[in-house]
Amino acid sequence: MSNHDKLRELIIDTFLLDPSEYSLDLARESVDTWDSLGIVSMAVGVHETFGYHFTPEEATGIERVSDIVRVLESKGISFAA
Amino acid sequence: MARPDVLSLDELAAALRAQPGEAYLWSLPRFAARAQQRLSVPAVPSLDDLPEKARVLIVLGGGARIDEAKLWRRDVRPGLRLIAIPSLWGSGAEASPVVALDRDGKKRIELDDALLPDARCVWPELAEDLPEWRAREACGDAWSHAVEGFLSPLGGEGLRAEIAQLLRSMIALPLGRDAAWFEASAAACAAQARAGVGLVHGIAHAIEGPLARDLRPDERAFGHARLCSLFLAPVLALNRELSPKFDDFTAAHGVDGAAVLAVADALFDRTSYRRTLGVLEANWRSVLLDPCSRTNSALVRPQHLTFFTEERFR
Repeated sequence: MSNHDKLRELIIDTFLLDPSEYSLDLARESVDTWDSLGIVSMAVGVHETFGYHFTPEEATGIERVSDIVRVLESKGISFAA
Repeated sequence: MARPDVLSLDELAAALRAQPGEAYLWSLPRFAARAQQRLSVPAVPSLDDLPEKARVLIVLGGGARIDEAKLWRRDVRPGLRLIAIPSLWGSGAEASPVVALDRDGKKRIELDDALLPDARCVWPELAEDLPEWRAREACGDAWSHAVEGFLSPLGGEGLRAEIAQLLRSMIALPLGRDAAWFEASAAACAAQARAGVGLVHGIAHAIEGPLARDLRPDERAFGHARLCSLFLAPVLALNRELSPKFDDFTAAHGVDGAAVLAVADALFDRTSYRRTLGVLEANWRSVLLDPCSRTNSALVRPQHLTFFTEERFR
Protein backbone atom coordinates (compact mmCIF):
# COMPACT_ATOMS: atom_id res chain seq x y z
CA MET A 1 0.00 0.00 0.00
CA SER A 2 1.38 3.42 -0.92
CA ASN A 3 1.79 6.17 1.66
CA HIS A 4 -1.00 8.09 -0.08
CA ASP A 5 -3.32 5.11 0.37
CA LYS A 6 -2.28 4.72 4.00
CA LEU A 7 -2.99 8.39 4.65
CA ARG A 8 -6.34 8.21 2.88
CA GLU A 9 -7.35 5.23 5.04
CA LEU A 10 -6.11 6.95 8.18
CA ILE A 11 -8.02 10.18 7.55
CA ILE A 12 -11.25 8.36 6.65
CA ASP A 13 -11.02 6.18 9.78
CA THR A 14 -9.95 8.95 12.13
CA PHE A 15 -12.65 11.42 11.17
CA LEU A 16 -15.28 8.77 10.30
CA LEU A 17 -15.68 10.08 6.74
CA ASP A 18 -17.46 8.64 3.79
CA PRO A 19 -14.65 7.69 1.36
CA SER A 20 -16.10 10.09 -1.22
CA GLU A 21 -15.40 13.01 1.11
CA TYR A 22 -11.65 12.44 1.09
CA SER A 23 -9.25 14.61 -0.87
CA LEU A 24 -5.88 16.21 -0.26
CA ASP A 25 -7.70 19.55 -0.20
CA LEU A 26 -10.03 18.43 2.57
CA ALA A 27 -9.99 21.24 5.15
CA ARG A 28 -10.24 20.92 8.91
CA GLU A 29 -13.02 23.52 9.04
CA SER A 30 -15.24 21.34 6.85
CA VAL A 31 -14.99 18.22 9.04
CA ASP A 32 -17.01 18.18 12.30
CA THR A 33 -14.87 15.47 13.85
CA TRP A 34 -11.59 17.31 13.10
CA ASP A 35 -11.80 19.10 16.42
CA SER A 36 -9.26 19.18 19.25
CA LEU A 37 -9.84 15.49 20.06
CA GLY A 38 -9.68 14.68 16.35
CA ILE A 39 -6.24 16.29 16.26
CA VAL A 40 -5.13 13.97 19.09
CA SER A 41 -6.52 10.90 17.27
CA MET A 42 -4.94 11.98 14.01
CA ALA A 43 -1.55 12.47 15.67
CA VAL A 44 -1.80 9.03 17.30
CA GLY A 45 -2.73 7.49 13.95
CA VAL A 46 0.08 9.25 12.09
CA HIS A 47 2.55 7.88 14.61
CA GLU A 48 1.20 4.35 14.27
CA THR A 49 1.10 4.53 10.48
CA PHE A 50 4.20 6.52 9.58
CA GLY A 51 6.30 6.34 12.76
CA TYR A 52 6.46 10.10 13.12
CA HIS A 53 5.35 12.03 16.22
CA PHE A 54 3.84 15.40 15.37
CA THR A 55 4.88 18.17 17.70
CA PRO A 56 1.86 19.91 19.26
CA GLU A 57 2.55 22.92 17.02
CA GLU A 58 2.62 20.76 13.91
CA ALA A 59 -0.55 18.91 14.84
CA THR A 60 -2.55 22.05 15.59
CA GLY A 61 -1.12 23.89 12.58
CA ILE A 62 -2.50 21.39 10.08
CA GLU A 63 -5.40 22.94 8.19
CA ARG A 64 -5.71 20.50 5.28
CA VAL A 65 -4.81 16.91 4.50
CA SER A 66 -2.11 18.20 2.17
CA ASP A 67 -0.43 19.83 5.19
CA ILE A 68 0.07 16.37 6.68
CA VAL A 69 1.80 15.28 3.48
CA ARG A 70 3.99 18.39 3.56
CA VAL A 71 5.08 17.83 7.18
CA LEU A 72 5.76 14.11 6.65
CA GLU A 73 7.70 14.73 3.42
CA SER A 74 9.84 17.28 5.29
CA LYS A 75 10.74 14.40 7.66
CA GLY A 76 11.82 12.18 4.80
CA ILE A 77 8.59 10.19 4.40
CA SER A 78 7.95 10.05 0.69
CA PHE A 79 4.58 10.52 -0.95
CA ALA A 80 5.92 10.35 -4.49
CA ALA A 81 3.64 8.41 -6.80
CA MET B 1 -3.54 20.78 40.01
CA ALA B 2 -5.50 21.48 43.19
CA ARG B 3 -6.38 18.50 45.33
CA PRO B 4 -9.05 18.21 47.99
CA ASP B 5 -7.99 18.18 51.62
CA VAL B 6 -8.04 14.71 53.11
CA LEU B 7 -9.79 14.22 56.45
CA SER B 8 -10.26 11.22 58.65
CA LEU B 9 -13.73 10.64 59.97
CA ASP B 10 -12.66 11.80 63.45
CA GLU B 11 -11.15 14.99 62.01
CA LEU B 12 -14.32 15.70 60.06
CA ALA B 13 -16.51 15.08 63.10
CA ALA B 14 -14.34 17.41 65.20
CA ALA B 15 -14.42 20.13 62.54
CA LEU B 16 -18.20 19.91 62.35
CA ARG B 17 -18.52 20.12 66.15
CA ALA B 18 -16.46 23.33 66.06
CA GLN B 19 -18.93 24.97 63.65
CA PRO B 20 -22.36 23.66 64.66
CA GLY B 21 -25.38 24.36 62.51
CA GLU B 22 -23.49 25.02 59.29
CA ALA B 23 -23.27 21.55 57.77
CA TYR B 24 -25.84 19.27 56.19
CA LEU B 25 -25.62 15.73 54.91
CA TRP B 26 -26.90 14.38 51.60
CA SER B 27 -26.39 10.64 51.83
CA LEU B 28 -27.29 7.36 50.24
CA PRO B 29 -30.39 6.42 52.27
CA ARG B 30 -28.83 3.23 53.64
CA PHE B 31 -25.96 5.16 55.26
CA ALA B 32 -27.88 8.27 56.33
CA ALA B 33 -28.76 7.27 59.90
CA ARG B 34 -25.25 5.98 60.59
CA ALA B 35 -23.63 9.12 59.21
CA GLN B 36 -25.99 11.47 61.05
CA GLN B 37 -25.16 9.73 64.29
CA ARG B 38 -21.40 9.71 63.68
CA LEU B 39 -21.14 13.28 62.41
CA SER B 40 -24.01 14.87 64.34
CA VAL B 41 -25.37 16.71 61.31
CA PRO B 42 -28.90 16.82 59.89
CA ALA B 43 -29.59 15.08 56.61
CA VAL B 44 -31.50 16.49 53.63
CA PRO B 45 -33.48 14.20 51.31
CA SER B 46 -32.45 16.13 48.20
CA LEU B 47 -30.06 18.90 47.25
CA ASP B 48 -32.97 21.26 46.66
CA ASP B 49 -33.90 20.84 50.34
CA LEU B 50 -30.59 22.28 51.52
CA PRO B 51 -31.33 25.37 53.69
CA GLU B 52 -30.01 28.75 52.59
CA LYS B 53 -28.05 29.02 55.85
CA ALA B 54 -25.99 25.92 55.02
CA ARG B 55 -22.27 26.60 54.61
CA VAL B 56 -21.08 23.02 54.26
CA LEU B 57 -22.52 20.12 52.28
CA ILE B 58 -21.35 16.62 53.07
CA VAL B 59 -22.17 14.18 50.30
CA LEU B 60 -21.94 10.48 51.09
CA GLY B 61 -22.39 7.93 48.33
CA GLY B 62 -21.03 6.45 45.15
CA GLY B 63 -19.64 8.26 42.13
CA ALA B 64 -22.98 9.30 40.69
CA ARG B 65 -24.20 10.91 43.92
CA ILE B 66 -20.90 12.69 44.49
CA ASP B 67 -20.88 13.93 40.88
CA GLU B 68 -24.45 15.22 41.25
CA ALA B 69 -23.37 17.19 44.32
CA LYS B 70 -20.27 18.54 42.54
CA LEU B 71 -22.31 19.79 39.61
CA TRP B 72 -25.06 21.21 41.82
CA ARG B 73 -22.59 23.05 44.04
CA ARG B 74 -20.87 24.63 41.04
CA ASP B 75 -24.08 25.65 39.30
CA VAL B 76 -26.40 26.48 42.20
CA ARG B 77 -24.40 27.20 45.39
CA PRO B 78 -20.80 27.99 44.38
CA GLY B 79 -19.92 29.38 47.82
CA LEU B 80 -20.75 26.14 49.58
CA ARG B 81 -17.94 24.00 51.01
CA LEU B 82 -18.27 20.48 49.64
CA ILE B 83 -16.96 17.46 51.48
CA ALA B 84 -17.23 14.07 49.78
CA ILE B 85 -17.33 10.71 51.54
CA PRO B 86 -17.22 7.82 49.05
CA SER B 87 -19.24 4.78 50.04
CA LEU B 88 -17.17 2.71 47.62
CA TRP B 89 -13.88 3.08 45.73
CA GLY B 90 -13.61 2.96 41.97
CA SER B 91 -15.02 6.16 40.52
CA GLY B 92 -12.64 8.40 42.42
CA ALA B 93 -15.27 11.15 42.09
CA GLU B 94 -14.29 12.51 45.49
CA ALA B 95 -10.81 13.43 44.20
CA SER B 96 -11.52 14.57 40.68
CA PRO B 97 -12.66 17.75 38.88
CA VAL B 98 -14.56 15.58 36.38
CA VAL B 99 -18.24 14.63 36.44
CA ALA B 100 -19.73 11.83 34.33
CA LEU B 101 -23.49 11.72 34.72
CA ASP B 102 -26.32 10.02 32.86
CA ARG B 103 -28.53 12.53 31.12
CA ASP B 104 -31.31 11.29 28.82
CA GLY B 105 -29.58 7.93 28.42
CA LYS B 106 -26.22 9.49 27.49
CA LYS B 107 -23.16 10.38 29.51
CA ARG B 108 -22.60 14.04 30.23
CA ILE B 109 -18.91 14.54 30.96
CA GLU B 110 -17.43 17.79 32.23
CA LEU B 111 -14.00 18.76 33.43
CA ASP B 112 -13.80 21.94 35.50
CA ASP B 113 -11.64 22.85 38.50
CA ALA B 114 -14.78 24.30 40.10
CA LEU B 115 -16.16 20.76 40.29
CA LEU B 116 -13.44 19.54 42.63
CA PRO B 117 -14.69 18.91 46.20
CA ASP B 118 -12.96 20.98 48.88
CA ALA B 119 -12.25 17.93 50.99
CA ARG B 120 -12.68 14.19 50.94
CA CYS B 121 -13.07 11.89 53.89
CA VAL B 122 -12.31 8.19 54.00
CA TRP B 123 -14.67 6.03 56.06
CA PRO B 124 -13.35 2.52 55.44
CA GLU B 125 -16.06 0.78 57.47
CA LEU B 126 -18.67 1.72 54.86
CA ALA B 127 -17.26 -0.94 52.56
CA GLU B 128 -17.26 -3.71 55.15
CA ASP B 129 -20.56 -5.24 54.10
CA LEU B 130 -20.08 -4.62 50.39
CA PRO B 131 -20.85 -7.66 48.20
CA GLU B 132 -17.61 -9.18 46.95
CA TRP B 133 -18.59 -8.84 43.27
CA ARG B 134 -19.25 -5.13 43.76
CA ALA B 135 -15.90 -4.60 45.45
CA ARG B 136 -14.15 -6.47 42.64
CA GLU B 137 -15.81 -4.46 39.89
CA ALA B 138 -14.97 -1.24 41.72
CA CYS B 139 -11.34 -2.36 41.55
CA GLY B 140 -11.79 -2.74 37.79
CA ASP B 141 -12.97 0.85 37.57
CA ALA B 142 -9.91 2.07 39.48
CA TRP B 143 -7.61 -0.12 37.37
CA SER B 144 -9.10 1.27 34.17
CA HIS B 145 -8.52 4.84 35.33
CA ALA B 146 -4.92 4.12 36.22
CA VAL B 147 -3.98 2.10 33.13
CA GLU B 148 -5.72 4.36 30.63
CA GLY B 149 -4.28 7.47 32.29
CA PHE B 150 -0.84 5.85 32.16
CA LEU B 151 -1.15 5.16 28.42
CA SER B 152 -2.94 8.38 27.45
CA PRO B 153 -1.44 10.36 24.55
CA LEU B 154 -2.25 13.50 26.57
CA GLY B 155 -0.03 12.53 29.51
CA GLY B 156 3.63 13.48 29.82
CA GLU B 157 6.53 11.53 31.28
CA GLY B 158 6.13 13.14 34.72
CA LEU B 159 2.54 12.04 35.03
CA ARG B 160 3.39 8.57 33.70
CA ALA B 161 6.07 8.23 36.38
CA GLU B 162 3.52 9.22 39.02
CA ILE B 163 0.94 6.73 37.74
CA ALA B 164 3.62 4.03 37.44
CA GLN B 165 4.23 4.32 41.16
CA LEU B 166 0.50 3.98 41.74
CA LEU B 167 0.28 0.94 39.44
CA ARG B 168 3.05 -0.78 41.39
CA SER B 169 1.11 -0.28 44.61
CA MET B 170 -2.16 -1.43 43.02
CA ILE B 171 -0.60 -4.68 41.80
CA ALA B 172 -0.02 -5.55 45.45
CA LEU B 173 -3.70 -5.07 46.36
CA PRO B 174 -6.29 -7.85 46.13
CA LEU B 175 -9.12 -7.59 43.61
CA GLY B 176 -11.78 -7.29 46.23
CA ARG B 177 -12.62 -5.75 49.56
CA ASP B 178 -9.67 -3.81 50.96
CA ALA B 179 -9.89 -0.31 52.41
CA ALA B 180 -6.57 0.60 50.75
CA TRP B 181 -8.55 0.87 47.53
CA PHE B 182 -10.13 4.13 48.72
CA GLU B 183 -6.75 5.90 48.49
CA ALA B 184 -5.58 4.05 45.37
CA SER B 185 -8.80 4.81 43.56
CA ALA B 186 -8.73 8.50 44.51
CA ALA B 187 -5.13 8.75 43.28
CA ALA B 188 -5.97 6.95 40.02
CA CYS B 189 -8.88 9.23 39.28
CA ALA B 190 -7.01 12.40 40.14
CA ALA B 191 -4.15 11.30 37.88
CA GLN B 192 -6.29 10.36 34.89
CA ALA B 193 -8.09 13.71 35.15
CA ARG B 194 -4.77 15.28 34.11
CA ALA B 195 -4.42 13.08 31.02
CA GLY B 196 -7.73 11.52 30.02
CA VAL B 197 -8.80 7.94 29.68
CA GLY B 198 -9.29 5.74 26.64
CA LEU B 199 -11.36 3.14 24.86
CA VAL B 200 -12.41 1.19 27.97
CA HIS B 201 -14.23 4.29 29.14
CA GLY B 202 -15.44 5.14 25.63
CA ILE B 203 -17.13 1.74 25.44
CA ALA B 204 -18.54 1.96 28.96
CA HIS B 205 -19.98 5.43 28.32
CA ALA B 206 -21.52 4.47 24.99
CA ILE B 207 -23.16 1.18 25.93
CA GLU B 208 -24.16 1.55 29.58
CA GLY B 209 -27.43 3.34 28.71
CA PRO B 210 -28.43 1.03 25.83
CA LEU B 211 -27.59 -2.03 27.94
CA ALA B 212 -29.80 -0.75 30.75
CA ARG B 213 -32.70 -0.47 28.30
CA ASP B 214 -31.94 -3.99 27.01
CA LEU B 215 -31.69 -5.59 30.45
CA ARG B 216 -33.81 -8.64 31.23
CA PRO B 217 -35.59 -8.68 34.61
CA ASP B 218 -33.35 -11.48 35.89
CA GLU B 219 -30.09 -9.77 34.90
CA ARG B 220 -27.74 -7.72 37.04
CA ALA B 221 -27.17 -4.21 35.63
CA PHE B 222 -24.13 -3.47 33.52
CA GLY B 223 -22.96 -0.40 35.39
CA HIS B 224 -19.84 1.59 34.65
CA ALA B 225 -17.53 -0.37 36.94
CA ARG B 226 -18.72 -3.72 35.58
CA LEU B 227 -18.17 -2.59 31.99
CA CYS B 228 -14.70 -1.26 32.80
CA SER B 229 -13.87 -4.62 34.37
CA LEU B 230 -15.14 -6.53 31.34
CA PHE B 231 -13.41 -4.46 28.68
CA LEU B 232 -10.03 -3.72 30.24
CA ALA B 233 -8.43 -6.96 29.00
CA PRO B 234 -9.86 -6.82 25.44
CA VAL B 235 -8.94 -3.14 25.04
CA LEU B 236 -5.41 -3.70 26.33
CA ALA B 237 -5.05 -6.55 23.83
CA LEU B 238 -6.18 -4.27 20.98
CA ASN B 239 -3.87 -1.49 22.12
CA ARG B 240 -0.94 -3.90 22.24
CA GLU B 241 -1.72 -5.21 18.78
CA LEU B 242 -1.72 -1.67 17.37
CA SER B 243 1.06 -0.04 19.32
CA PRO B 244 4.08 -0.95 21.47
CA LYS B 245 3.22 1.77 24.00
CA PHE B 246 1.99 -0.53 26.76
CA ASP B 247 5.14 -2.64 26.68
CA ASP B 248 7.43 0.35 26.19
CA PHE B 249 5.88 2.46 28.95
CA THR B 250 5.67 -0.33 31.51
CA ALA B 251 9.29 -1.30 30.84
CA ALA B 252 10.50 2.30 30.94
CA HIS B 253 8.74 3.00 34.23
CA GLY B 254 9.48 -0.25 36.05
CA VAL B 255 5.90 -1.51 36.04
CA ASP B 256 5.37 -5.26 35.82
CA GLY B 257 3.36 -5.30 32.58
CA ALA B 258 2.63 -9.02 32.86
CA ALA B 259 1.12 -8.45 36.29
CA VAL B 260 -1.09 -5.65 34.93
CA LEU B 261 -2.29 -7.92 32.11
CA ALA B 262 -2.95 -10.70 34.64
CA VAL B 263 -5.14 -8.33 36.65
CA ALA B 264 -7.06 -7.40 33.50
CA ASP B 265 -7.55 -11.09 32.69
CA ALA B 266 -8.73 -11.79 36.23
CA LEU B 267 -11.37 -9.06 35.90
CA PHE B 268 -12.65 -10.48 32.61
CA ASP B 269 -15.77 -12.65 32.55
CA ARG B 270 -16.52 -14.16 29.15
CA THR B 271 -20.22 -14.89 29.71
CA SER B 272 -20.99 -11.34 30.77
CA TYR B 273 -18.75 -9.97 28.03
CA ARG B 274 -20.63 -11.87 25.34
CA ARG B 275 -23.91 -10.52 26.65
CA THR B 276 -22.73 -6.99 25.80
CA LEU B 277 -21.59 -7.66 22.23
CA GLY B 278 -24.90 -7.09 20.43
CA VAL B 279 -25.25 -3.73 22.13
CA LEU B 280 -21.61 -2.91 21.42
CA GLU B 281 -22.14 -3.65 17.74
CA ALA B 282 -25.32 -1.56 17.57
CA ASN B 283 -23.59 1.38 19.26
CA TRP B 284 -20.10 1.14 17.77
CA ARG B 285 -20.32 4.52 16.05
CA SER B 286 -21.16 6.11 19.42
CA VAL B 287 -18.11 4.36 20.85
CA LEU B 288 -15.94 5.83 18.09
CA LEU B 289 -17.31 9.31 18.72
CA ASP B 290 -16.96 9.19 22.49
CA PRO B 291 -14.32 11.69 23.66
CA CYS B 292 -12.54 9.00 25.68
CA SER B 293 -12.20 6.66 22.68
CA ARG B 294 -10.68 9.54 20.74
CA THR B 295 -7.92 9.94 23.31
CA ASN B 296 -7.16 6.22 23.41
CA SER B 297 -3.49 5.30 23.35
CA ALA B 298 -3.97 3.70 19.91
CA LEU B 299 -6.19 4.94 17.10
CA VAL B 300 -9.57 3.20 17.26
CA ARG B 301 -10.88 2.52 13.76
CA PRO B 302 -14.33 1.40 12.55
CA GLN B 303 -13.03 -2.05 11.58
CA HIS B 304 -11.78 -2.72 15.12
CA LEU B 305 -15.31 -3.72 16.13
CA THR B 306 -14.59 -7.24 14.90
CA PHE B 307 -11.61 -7.47 17.22
CA PHE B 308 -14.18 -7.46 20.03
CA THR B 309 -17.06 -9.35 18.42
CA GLU B 310 -14.79 -12.12 17.09
CA GLU B 311 -12.90 -12.18 20.40
CA ARG B 312 -9.58 -11.89 18.66
CA PHE B 313 -7.89 -11.15 21.98
CA ARG B 314 -8.03 -14.76 23.14
